[in-house]
Amino acid sequence: MMLRMSRAGLAERWPLFAGAFLSVTLGVALVQSSLLLLISAATMDPPAGLDAAGRMAFADNADASVALLGVVLGTATFLAMFIISSTFAFTVAQRRRDLALLRLVGGSRGQLRRLLLGEAVLLGTLGATAGVPAGLGVMAIQSELLAAQGFVPDGFVAEWRPWILAVSFGTGLLLAIAGVLVAARRGARVRPLDALRETGDAGRAMTAGRWIAALLFLGGALTLIIVAPHGGPAGGQAMATNVPTLAAVTIAALSPLLVPLAGRLAPTGGGVAGMLARANLADSRRRSASVAAPLIVLVALVVGNVGAGTSFTASGVAEMRRDTRADLVVDATGPIGARIRAVPGVASASTETSLPATVIAGRGEDAEAEAATAMVVDPAAYAAAHSSPSLAALHGRAVAAGPGGDMPSRGTVRVTLPDLDLGELPVVAALPETMAGGTNLLLPPGLVPADRLAAAPTRSFVTLTADADPAAVRAALSRIGTVSDLDAWLLADAEQRNSTNDKIMLIVLGLGGLYALIGVINSAVIGAATRRREFAEARVTGMTRGQVIRSALLESWAVTVAGLLLGAVAAGATFLAVLTTTSAVTGQATLDLPWPLIAAVAAAAVLVTSVTSLITSWSATRERPVALLGARE
Amino acid sequence: MTTMTRAAAAVTLRGITRVYGRGSTAVRAVDDVTLTFPRGSWTAVMGPSGSGKSTLLHCAAGLEQVDAGQVLIGDTDLTAAGDAALTALRRTRIGFVFQSFNLIGSLTAEQNVALPLRLAGRRPARADVRATLARVGLADRARHRPREMSGGQQQRVAIARAMVTRPDVLFADEPTGALDSAAARTVLDLLREMADSGQSIVMVTHDPGAAARADAVVFLRDGRVVDRLAGADAHQVADRLAAWERS
Repeated sequence: MMLRMSRAGLAERWPLFAGAFLSVTLGVALVQSSLLLLISAATMDPPAGLDAAGRMAFADNADASVALLGVVLGTATFLAMFIISSTFAFTVAQRRRDLALLRLVGGSRGQLRRLLLGEAVLLGTLGATAGVPAGLGVMAIQSELLAAQGFVPDGFVAEWRPWILAVSFGTGLLLAIAGVLVAARRGARVRPLDALRETGDAGRAMTAGRWIAALLFLGGALTLIIVAPHGGPAGGQAMATNVPTLAAVTIAALSPLLVPLAGRLAPTGGGVAGMLARANLADSRRRSASVAAPLIVLVALVVGNVGAGTSFTASGVAEMRRDTRADLVVDATGPIGARIRAVPGVASASTETSLPATVIAGRGEDAEAEAATAMVVDPAAYAAAHSSPSLAALHGRAVAAGPGGDMPSRGTVRVTLPDLDLGELPVVAALPETMAGGTNLLLPPGLVPADRLAAAPTRSFVTLTADADPAAVRAALSRIGTVSDLDAWLLADAEQRNSTNDKIMLIVLGLGGLYALIGVINSAVIGAATRRREFAEARVTGMTRGQVIRSALLESWAVTVAGLLLGAVAAGATFLAVLTTTSAVTGQATLDLPWPLIAAVAAAAVLVTSVTSLITSWSATRERPVALLGARE
Repeated sequence: MTTMTRAAAAVTLRGITRVYGRGSTAVRAVDDVTLTFPRGSWTAVMGPSGSGKSTLLHCAAGLEQVDAGQVLIGDTDLTAAGDAALTALRRTRIGFVFQSFNLIGSLTAEQNVALPLRLAGRRPARADVRATLARVGLADRARHRPREMSGGQQQRVAIARAMVTRPDVLFADEPTGALDSAAARTVLDLLREMADSGQSIVMVTHDPGAAARADAVVFLRDGRVVDRLAGADAHQVADRLAAWERS
């Protein structure tokens, strides 16, 4: 019986259900694709025929892609949870009158709950059914992106796993049911008399649940903002990049309260359409909040994360510029240190040879092998060229922890190079971790046999004597390797870091951002679906169709502005953590905002909501108002 | 059902009061009303707008809590009933008809009528449902959806839906308020016929013509019962209403 009602309900309020269905389909697709990619990267075997060094480089690369895909999966799961649950809750709130009517003719609260849960199960199953094939499409796009940006080793293939079917259906059902659970309890408590109220929003929009969620997530966000500066470069960055999610959920939970307030800041003009738009914004706070919520999350996530990324990169670049002491940089292969020092006019040179390594820290059961980068350095020259603490203790059989972190700062580690076990080595020094990162392990000269270094990439930071002829030194050095000015080299390094940051953000947020944007459209369509009557009433009161459409457009504009502003507040919370963290690590608070991206997100949001509003209000006013008002239900 | 011990009154109101708002803005929509609606009889409740007539109906039907007093449907005390008991009551002993017909748009007339039985967990016999529709003169509209019907037809479907559970009392709130005079007459004829065959009906209306079709008319002003007429025609009802509105 209830299922039949569900089906009948589906047919009638189709935009509501289409929106809920779409949110499940895309959420399942995104989560499924991210999970398959992560599993594929984690279980990837190195291609046959690689030598030991190649296998180590492959392992390092694979570790990095697993870490990246972990973040992708986390973001996808969060977005799916947020968008599906808010969409479902909104569809329930929009059908308050229908539910009250069922109560009026003898429906019990339990029956209403079962009806709503039945719908959620139906929509979750349908959504997952469509989401599984859609997920294959999303996976093709994501693999393409990953490969094009060089985040996966050559020959990476995202693989289908049969068990993913169970996971995807489970995800769709679980998220749909979780999304509707609270809303169903609330919807079932509707009073039968509410069926008689023609219009108007569902009573109190700020529920206890919203307050509790807001306080919990606010607490989490504040904790991260306070702790981030004490977390070191890696920990601080990780904590700061989690602030947007928490801050966005906090603000989204408070949105029935905040959106009408923020919406007042949007200019809506003086005409009657503007007046009606302002009144509707304040009156239908539930609807305004539901449209603004995905927008808040979108802005917070994209602007917050990308802004944090560019700021941390800028901070690292500034730190490098401040700490590097050299005139020229030479990139070459193999042991070039002696030849560089022999060039007339060279005062000193820190020559650094990179090697892939595996490091085992801890003993017995706790032993943990990690891919790492190691660098053979001249300790004294290194400390001078990078303004680092003294590495005088680094000689003989010993290692030092590098600026890249991830290494124990005392005790011993077991270091393995490709095909060569260096054995247990004491960690005799530890350089402070830097924002820019770098190598994990510094090795003294003489520890690694020369034949292992012959083909390794080597970089030398060269300082000239006061009386040297730069052109002549340059000419001499260019016979050894590629020579750059320090400034040019720093610039190129910064560009490369920025481009890596951009690529990571594209992978992590590209499809997620698109999903959130579709969530915005979804809510806007659902919000408009039940407004035909309201529009018809405005028209019989004397408004023209144009005025009604203009009023709806102005209302959507105000809600969009509110969403953008509140999203900016959530992103701002992230930037607070960024400022304190960069200040704690490098001594200089750094914020570098991606203004073109911010402008693009704002423009896209306004465009998308405006077009949606135009289309929905145009189609909702197609019928003659009198015909619509006559057909009472 | 306690057929043997049924009270004489279909609905009994004992000193009920319903207050909206608090403090200085408080409005006593229903103010200490004591009233009985006799079994098997049609009572109309009239009064100027804001007199509290709709609130009175909602309180009598258990749709709204009273702040003081007692509401009885037969012998059952609504004021002591919880949500589950009120739901059960709506399924078996109370029927509603409203100005805005409140049919479910996605269901056919037949499905709308069968809905209360289905919600009560009963499998309605198609013949019963058809018979109920036939009683309101819509046997041929069983498979139509509300939007394919006129206002008068929709209201008759709503009446059939209310009647299908054979309720003790039918509550009607401005049942003709949204209808043209011809459709209104059909609906009133139907209610008259039902009352004549023993159905208890409580109807709120502002239309003296509609009220005159009832067995008795109760006048309400400022939340209090101020007058009662039995067997009056439309003119008498209108005059009495006008008198109360003037004073």
